[in-house]
Amino acid sequence: MFKIAMPRLDPAMQSGKIVEWLKKEGERVESDVPIVRIEGEKTTFEVDSPGPGIVRRLLFEPGTDVQVGQTIALVGAPDEPLPVELEVPETSQVVVTERETVVSAVPRIQEAAASPVARKMAREAGLDLSKIKGSGPGGRIVREDVQKAIEQMKTRPEAIVVSAQVARAVPIAKTIKLAGKRKATAERLLYGFHTSVPVTITMEARMEAVIDQRKDLQKRTGEEISVTAYVVKAAAKALEDHQMINSSLEGDELRLYGDVNVAVAINTPDGLVAPVIPQTNKKPVLEISRGIRELTERAMQNRLTVSDLTGGTFTVTNLGGYGVELFAPVINPPQCAILGFGRTSEKPVIVEKQVRVASVTTLSLVFDHRIVDGVPAAQFLERVKELLEDPTRLD
Amino acid sequence: MLELTYADALREALREEMLRDPRVVLMGEEIGVFEGVYKVTRGLLKEFGPERVRDTPISEAAIAGAAIGAALAGLKPVAEIMYMDFLPICLDQIATQAAKMHFMSGGKLKVPMVLRTQYSLGRVHGAQHSQFFPSWLFQVPGLKVVLPSTPHDAKGLLKAAIRDEDPVVFIESGVLYRTKGPVPHGEYVTPLGQCDIKKKGDDITIVAVSRVVHEALAAASKLDEQEVTAEVIDPRTIQPLDLATILESVKRTGRLIIASDDVKSGGIGSEIAARVVEEAFDSLDAPILRVASPDTPIPFSPPLEQAYIPNAQKIIEAVKKLTG
Repeated sequence: MFKIAMPRLDPAMQSGKIVEWLKKEGERVESDVPIVRIEGEKTTFEVDSPGPGIVRRLLFEPGTDVQVGQTIALVGAPDEPLPVELEVPETSQVVVTERETVVSAVPRIQEAAASPVARKMAREAGLDLSKIKGSGPGGRIVREDVQKAIEQMKTRPEAIVVSAQVARAVPIAKTIKLAGKRKATAERLLYGFHTSVPVTITMEARMEAVIDQRKDLQKRTGEEISVTAYVVKAAAKALEDHQMINSSLEGDELRLYGDVNVAVAINTPDGLVAPVIPQTNKKPVLEISRGIRELTERAMQNRLTVSDLTGGTFTVTNLGGYGVELFAPVINPPQCAILGFGRTSEKPVIVEKQVRVASVTTLSLVFDHRIVDGVPAAQFLERVKELLEDPTRLD
Repeated sequence: MLELTYADALREALREEMLRDPRVVLMGEEIGVFEGVYKVTRGLLKEFGPERVRDTPISEAAIAGAAIGAALAGLKPVAEIMYMDFLPICLDQIATQAAKMHFMSGGKLKVPMVLRTQYSLGRVHGAQHSQFFPSWLFQVPGLKVVLPSTPHDAKGLLKAAIRDEDPVVFIESGVLYRTKGPVPHGEYVTPLGQCDIKKKGDDITIVAVSRVVHEALAAASKLDEQEVTAEVIDPRTIQPLDLATILESVKRTGRLIIASDDVKSGGIGSEIAARVVEEAFDSLDAPILRVASPDTPIPFSPPLEQAYIPNAQKIIEAVKKLTG
C-alpha cells in the first residue's frame, strides 16, 4: 500500500490545499501519473502516484487544507487491507440512515457535526466548535457538550475561548478565510519578521544611464525592457562581491550560497509571489527582462512551478509603478536581505554647484543584522548604485 | 370519573349534543336500524326517531352533499363515512364545496357540519379498508381536522366539533373503539386547536397522533426505565394545529420525533417537522425524525401489517438514534 502524504515543497510550507483529485477512488493508476492537484504556499502543483495500483482512498474533499506530512490518499492492490486508522470508524455508521450506500462512505475530515442549538450556544458564548468534542450520535456536538465547554471556560478560559465578548461589539462585514497565497504570504512574512533583525538603509541612484541604455536596447530588440531587470542584474552582480548578503542563517549555521538566484516579487490577484531567475548574475539584462516577463505571465495564470518558486537567495521588489518613492520591505525568509526600489522621478540635484534635473530612484536595502553589519551592507548598496549609474558594467 | 370505551364516549357526545340542540341530526350508512358498524350510534334512532337519525343509501358523495345542504339550511348535521377509505368519493363535496362556501360567499354562508369517519389500520382490514390520509384534508384551507386518541378527548372534541361553525372532519381510530378510559361525569367540551401533553418529559418530544399516542406512551414508559424522559404531545387537532405547545416543548428538549399512522411522504410528520425547523431551528439538538407507515399499500397479512404500522419499538429505536 502506498500512502501519499501532503508534500513539503519549501522549508516554510506548513500545509497545502487539495484543489482537485485527478483520479477517482477505484481507478487504476500507474507510477508517476498525477493523482492530485495541490495548491501549496506558492503555487499549484501536481503530485504523482508513487506506484502502480488502485486508488483505494481519497481522504479529503477538494478545498481542504491539509498539514504537510498527513496522508491524503492510498494506492494499493484492490484486496489489500486498509490501515486500521483509515478504516471507516464504527461511529460514522450511526449518523447515516438506512441506505447502505451512504454507510460505506469514507470519513472525510471536515468540520465536526453540531446540532443547531449547539451552534447557536457556541456562537453566543464565543466558543470555537472545532475545540469541542461531540458526545452525540456519530460524534455530533450537542447542547450538553457546549454547556460543559461553557462551564469549563469559567474555570479554564484559555482552553476554549477564541473570541472575547467585547470583540462581538464590532460588526463583521465579511470574513475571508486565509488560504493559498494570501495565507502563505502572511505566514512567511510573519516568520521572516520574527526570525530576523531587519535594518533598513537607503541610497539614491541616478538612472539616466539606465534609461538611455534601456532605450537603445529596446530599439535594438524591439522588446519592452523593464527597469527592474537592470536593478535585478545590478543586485546580482553586486552579490558576487558580497557573498555574506547572498546567504541565510539556519540555526547557528550561516550558509553562503554558491549561486546568485534573485527572486522577483510579483503581485497577482491572488497575492504576492516571488519566482526566481536562476544564476541571475550570469545572465544578460535582456535575458533577465524576458525571464521576468515570462514569470509574470505564468504567475498571473497561476502556472508557476515549484522550481520557479524555490531556490531564491536574494529578492528584489519594486513599488515604483505605484508611485512609491521609498519603502522598507520585509525580508523573504530564509534570505538575508531584500532590495526595494521606488519610482524613478526627476529631481533637482546639485552637480558642480549647479542645480540640475536628474532622474533618481531610491534604493532601500533591508538586511538581517544578525548576518551582516551596517558597513558591509552599505558597501553592497553602494555597489548596486554604482552599477546602475554605469550599466555598461552590468553585462 | 366514568370508565367508558372510546365508542361509548363518542355516543355520549352525540346524544348530549342532540339533547342540547334540536338542530343536530345524524346521517350515514347503517347508523340507524343497525346502530352503526361500531355501535357508536347505539340507541339513538330509538331515542331521537328517524327524523334526526337517518340511514342513507350507499353513496358517500350523497351523504356529504346532503349534510352540506342541511348545514346551509340551518341544521347541524353529523354525517358518517364508514371507512376513511371511502372518503375520497366525497372529497369534491368536502374540499371544493364545504370548505369554500363561507369564503366564496363573503362570509354570508356557514357550513356547520361534522363528517365523522374512522381508519382501521391495525385491524387486518387490508389495503382498501385501512387507509389513513389526514394530510389530504389538512391541505384544504377551510376544513378543521380532528383526531382524538382517548375516550375523554373523543367525547370532548366531538362536542366541540358539533358546536363549531366550520366544516369539521372528525377522524376516529377503529382500533381504539373498544379501548376504555376515564371520562368526567357531566358536561365538558374540549376546545379544538389545543394540544394535550399526555406525559411530561425533558429529554425528547414525541408528537403522536391518534392510535399512535398509545404506542408513544408505551415507548415513553419503557424509556423512563432507561432514564430518558420523553414528553408525549397529542395535537388532537391537526388543523388548526397548536404549534405553540409543540415549539415550547422542543425548545426545552431540543429533540423531536413525530409518530403517526399515515405514510411518511407528505404526512403529518412532514408538516410538523417543517414548521418546527422554520420556527425553532436554533433550538434543535438533533435531526427531527418521523415514525410513520412506509410508502406502500397496507399489507393484509397480520404479521406484515404489524411490521408495517408504527409501534412503541419503532419509536424507541428512533429515540435511540437521537439520544445515542
